[in-house]
Amino acid sequence: MQRRHFLALTGAAFALPALPLHAATNPSDTLLTWYKLVLELVRHTATYTPPVAARAFGYLGLAAYESLASATGATSLAGQINGLTALPARVSGTYDDSLVVHAVMSEAVETFFGNTGPTGQRAMAAMRNKLGAKLSEGVAKDVAARSAAYGLAVAQHIEKYSTSDGGHDVKNMGFPMQWTLQKGPEFWVPTSVIVQQQAPLLPEWGKNRPFAMPADAPCTAGDPPAYSEDPTSEFYKQAMEVYEVSKTLTDEQKAIARFWSDDPMLSPTPPGHWISITLQILHRDGTDALHAADALARVGMAVNDAFIACWGDKIHYNRLRPVTYIKRVIDKTWEPLLITPPFAEYPSGHSTQSGAAAAVLAAIFGENFAFDDATHADDGIKPLHFSDFQTAAAEAALSRLYGGIHFRAANENGLRQGAEVGTFITALKTLA
Amino acid sequence: MKILSLSLALLPLAAYAETTPAAALVPSFTEQTATSGVNQIYAGDWEFMVGGGVSTFDCNADARPDLIIAGGTNPAKLFVNQSEQGGDLAFRETESGLERAGVLGAYPIDIDSDTIPDIVLLRQGENEVMRGLGNCKFERANEAWGFDGGKAWSVAFAATWEKGQNWPTLALGNYIDVTQDMFPWGSCTDNWLHRPDGVKFAPPTPLKPSFCALSMLFSDWNRSGTPSLRIANDREYYKGGQEQLWHIDPGKDPALYTEKEGWKRLRIWGMGLASYDLDFDGFPEYFVTSMADNKLQTLAELPADGAAKAGFKDVAFAKHAIAQRPYTGDDLNPSTGWHAQFEDVNNDGLADLFIAKGNVDAMPDFALKDPNNLLLQRSDGTFEESGDRAGVAATGLSRGAGLADLNADGLVDLIVVNRREPAQIWRNTTQSPNHWLSLTLAQTAPNTDALGAWVEVKMPDHIQRREITIGGGQAGGNLGPSHFGLGDLAQAEVRVIWPDGTTGAWEMVNADAAYRLQKP
Repeated sequence: MQRRHFLALTGAAFALPALPLHAATNPSDTLLTWYKLVLELVRHTATYTPPVAARAFGYLGLAAYESLASATGATSLAGQINGLTALPARVSGTYDDSLVVHAVMSEAVETFFGNTGPTGQRAMAAMRNKLGAKLSEGVAKDVAARSAAYGLAVAQHIEKYSTSDGGHDVKNMGFPMQWTLQKGPEFWVPTSVIVQQQAPLLPEWGKNRPFAMPADAPCTAGDPPAYSEDPTSEFYKQAMEVYEVSKTLTDEQKAIARFWSDDPMLSPTPPGHWISITLQILHRDGTDALHAADALARVGMAVNDAFIACWGDKIHYNRLRPVTYIKRVIDKTWEPLLITPPFAEYPSGHSTQSGAAAAVLAAIFGENFAFDDATHADDGIKPLHFSDFQTAAAEAALSRLYGGIHFRAANENGLRQGAEVGTFITALKTLA
Repeated sequence: MKILSLSLALLPLAAYAETTPAAALVPSFTEQTATSGVNQIYAGDWEFMVGGGVSTFDCNADARPDLIIAGGTNPAKLFVNQSEQGGDLAFRETESGLERAGVLGAYPIDIDSDTIPDIVLLRQGENEVMRGLGNCKFERANEAWGFDGGKAWSVAFAATWEKGQNWPTLALGNYIDVTQDMFPWGSCTDNWLHRPDGVKFAPPTPLKPSFCALSMLFSDWNRSGTPSLRIANDREYYKGGQEQLWHIDPGKDPALYTEKEGWKRLRIWGMGLASYDLDFDGFPEYFVTSMADNKLQTLAELPADGAAKAGFKDVAFAKHAIAQRPYTGDDLNPSTGWHAQFEDVNNDGLADLFIAKGNVDAMPDFALKDPNNLLLQRSDGTFEESGDRAGVAATGLSRGAGLADLNADGLVDLIVVNRREPAQIWRNTTQSPNHWLSLTLAQTAPNTDALGAWVEVKMPDHIQRREITIGGGQAGGNLGPSHFGLGDLAQAEVRVIWPDGTTGAWEMVNADAAYRLQKP
C-alpha cells in the first residue's frame, strides 16, 4: 500500500495543538483522525449538549470497536450490553482495516451528526472523500470494496440499535416546549434569561436505555442534604461554602473552574473532554487501533450511562441551583463565576461522568497513570498535568464548586455515582 | 421653507400634508416586490452563507434613498429610486460600476468628502473601495486611495472619523479561512483597521485577536466623544473568542476593553448589530442577533460621574425582545437572526425593531420557515411582535435588510435580501395620524455626513436621540436621513451634537417634513 502522500494532505489540519496528529497512515491514525473531527462536530452542532454528546461517543466507539474486533476474533459486546444483537460477520477475503475504520466512521459520524450545519457537512464530506481517496491508494479494488461494505454494515447495525434507546430524537436543542415548574423552595427554577432555557434540558433523558448499567436499577447519587434555610443546617452550610469560596477564589481556582467548564457550543463538552484525554493518551502512546477503539468505546459508553443515571436523579430530586438559593437567602447580588447550566442541580453531571470516565480509564491504563491534558489548548487555556485519572476527576468535580454552579454534595456524590456506573463498563469483556 | 432664526440651517426637503385616519398601533406594509423594479438574488453556496447585505443611500442627490444589493455569485446591483412622493415604490436597475461578483455586502460612506457617497464592497476575495463619481456612477479607487483589499472573506464593516483626520477610518471584519475544509474551526482571519495616512489609507492594522466578525459598529457607547468599535463575533468558528469592544483612540494602537474596565465575556453566535437609545438615558442600547437567542444590551450601571464602565446586561428577556423562535407557522425550532435595525415604523415616537431571520442553509435543528420579526416598542419599553399583523412575516432565508423612507411619505419602508431567493420590498402603507421628522445632517469636509454626531428630538417627557453611524446590521447599512416619529406632536425641538462636540441650540421645527441640518 502506498500512502506516503497522505502526510502532505492532512498535515496542516493535524497541526492543531489540542491533538497533534500527523497522518492517518494506519487504522489507529484513521480512527483518531475521525475522532478529532467528531470533537469539532460536538462543539459545533446545536443539539450536542453533554448528554447527547455522551450518547454519540458511546455509539461511535462501539461501532469502531466492533468493526475491528471481528478482524482478530476479539470478544464482541453483542449480548453483553443492553439490547445489542450480533453484528454482521466478515465474509471471507482480505480486508484493509484502515478502510474498514474509515467506512464505519464515515457512516456513523454522518449519521450521528446529520443535523450539523453546512460547515460540518462540508467537513465530513471532505474527510470522507479526501481521506478515503488517500487510504484507497494502492489497495486492490475488491479489498477496498469489501472493507467499505463491511464498515458500512457495522455502522448501519449500530445505527439501527441506537434508534431505540430513547435519545434518538432531540427537538428544540433538548428543551421542552412546555414545562410546569414544581412548587416549593427546594425545587429548580430557571436561572437563565434565555427563553428556551425556561424549561430544563432533556428532562426525559434518565429514561434512556443505558449500555451496561442495568436499566431497571440505575446507579443513584443518593439523597442530597435536606433543603433548609436554617443557618445551622447542612444545606445552608454547603450553600454558604459556595458563597464564601466565590468571594476568595484564587487565580488557580478560577483557572480550574474554567479548565473544566466545558460549555456546550464552546467546547467538546464534559464527555468530549474525557474523550479528548483518551485520544491524547492513545496518540501519545501509539496505541493500536483495536485497543484504541476499545478504550474509546468504554469511555463513551461510561459517560453515556453516567449521564442517564445522573439525569434520572436530577429530575427526581429537582434541586435548585446555588445562584437561586444564595440570591434568595444569603446575598441577592451574588453571581457565580460560571454560567449556571439550565437544569436541576443534583447531582453534578460533570462529576458523575468524570467519575465514570476515570474509573474506566484507570481500569484500562492503570491507577497511577499520569497524563497531560491539552484539550483546550486551541482556546488559549494552558494544558494541565495530572498524576492519575481519579485526581483529574476529583478536580473536575471540585471545579463546579469553584464555578458556583453546584453544592459540594452534588459533586462528591456525583463522583461516587459515576464510579459505580464505571464498574458496569469495566466488567464488560473485550479484546480477548 | 427655511428657518433662518436658527443657528442651524434647516432646509425642508419635503412636506407631509395628507390627512390620515385614526392611528393604528400596528403598522401596515404592502409588498411591492413584483412591481418595484427591484430584482436581485443573493446567490452562492457555502462561501456565501453569510452576508447578503443591502444599503440605502442617495447616489444622485435627489433626496430619495437608492439601493445597493449584494449578489453573492451574482453581480451586485444598484437600483435608483424612481418612487414618487407618497407613491408606490419604484426603482430602476442602473449600471453603476458596482456590478462585481463575489460581493457579500456594501456600505456607503463619503470617503473623500466630496459630498458624493462612495461605496465599500465587502467581497469573497479582494474588497474594493468604489469612488462615487456622481449620478450613481462609481469607479475602483483601491490604488488611488491606497486601500489594500486583502483576499479574505469579508462581511462586516464600520467607519468613523478619528479626531483631527481628513480621511475616515474603516474597520473590515473577516470571517473563516475559506481554504480550510476539514478543520475550518479556529481559522478566523484577522479583521483589518484601515486608518488614514493623509488623504489615503495607511497599510491596514490587524485587529488581533479576531474572532470571525459578522457585524461591526463604531459607537460612542459611553458618550466620551470618541466612538469605540463593537464587534459581533460568530462563536461557531472562533476558539478562545468572545464578543469584543475595542478602544480606537486617535494616535493610539487599538486596544480591547478589559474586565477591569467592566467588560464581561459574552460568547454567542454574534451576527448583527443595531443600536438606539431606547430608554432615553443618553446611552445607546445594542441589539445583537444570534441563533435561538438574541441580546438587548444596556449599560449594567449608569455612571454617576459620567464615566461609564463597559459592562452591559442583557434585557432582551425582560423587554420581550428575544424573538428566539418563529411566531407563525408550525415550525417551532429556534430562530436564526441576521440583520437588525431600529426604526420607528408607526411614528409613535418609540423605536421599533426589525430582525431579518433565516436558516443558515438547511440546518434541521433551526427553523426552516423563520419569519422576520417586527417588534413594536410599547410605552413601557417592552416590545410586542407584529410581523404577521403588519404583513412582513416573510419566511425566506433572509439576511440583510434596510428600513428607510423610500418614497418620502414619512413612513419607513422595508427591503429584505434573501439567500437564493429574490429580495423583497414592502411599502409602509400605515394609515396613521402620527407625525414625523426626517433629519439629514451635513457639514463641510471632512466627514460630510457627520458620522459620529447625535441628533436629538425633544418630546414632552424625554429626548429621542440617534447616533449617526455607518456599519452594523448584516452586511449593509443606511447613509441618509434619521427618521423620528413624533406621535401627536405637530412640532418639536431638535438639536445636533456634532462630531467635534459642538452642541447646537434647540430649535423648533414643524412636523411632517424633511430637513437638512447643516453645521454652521
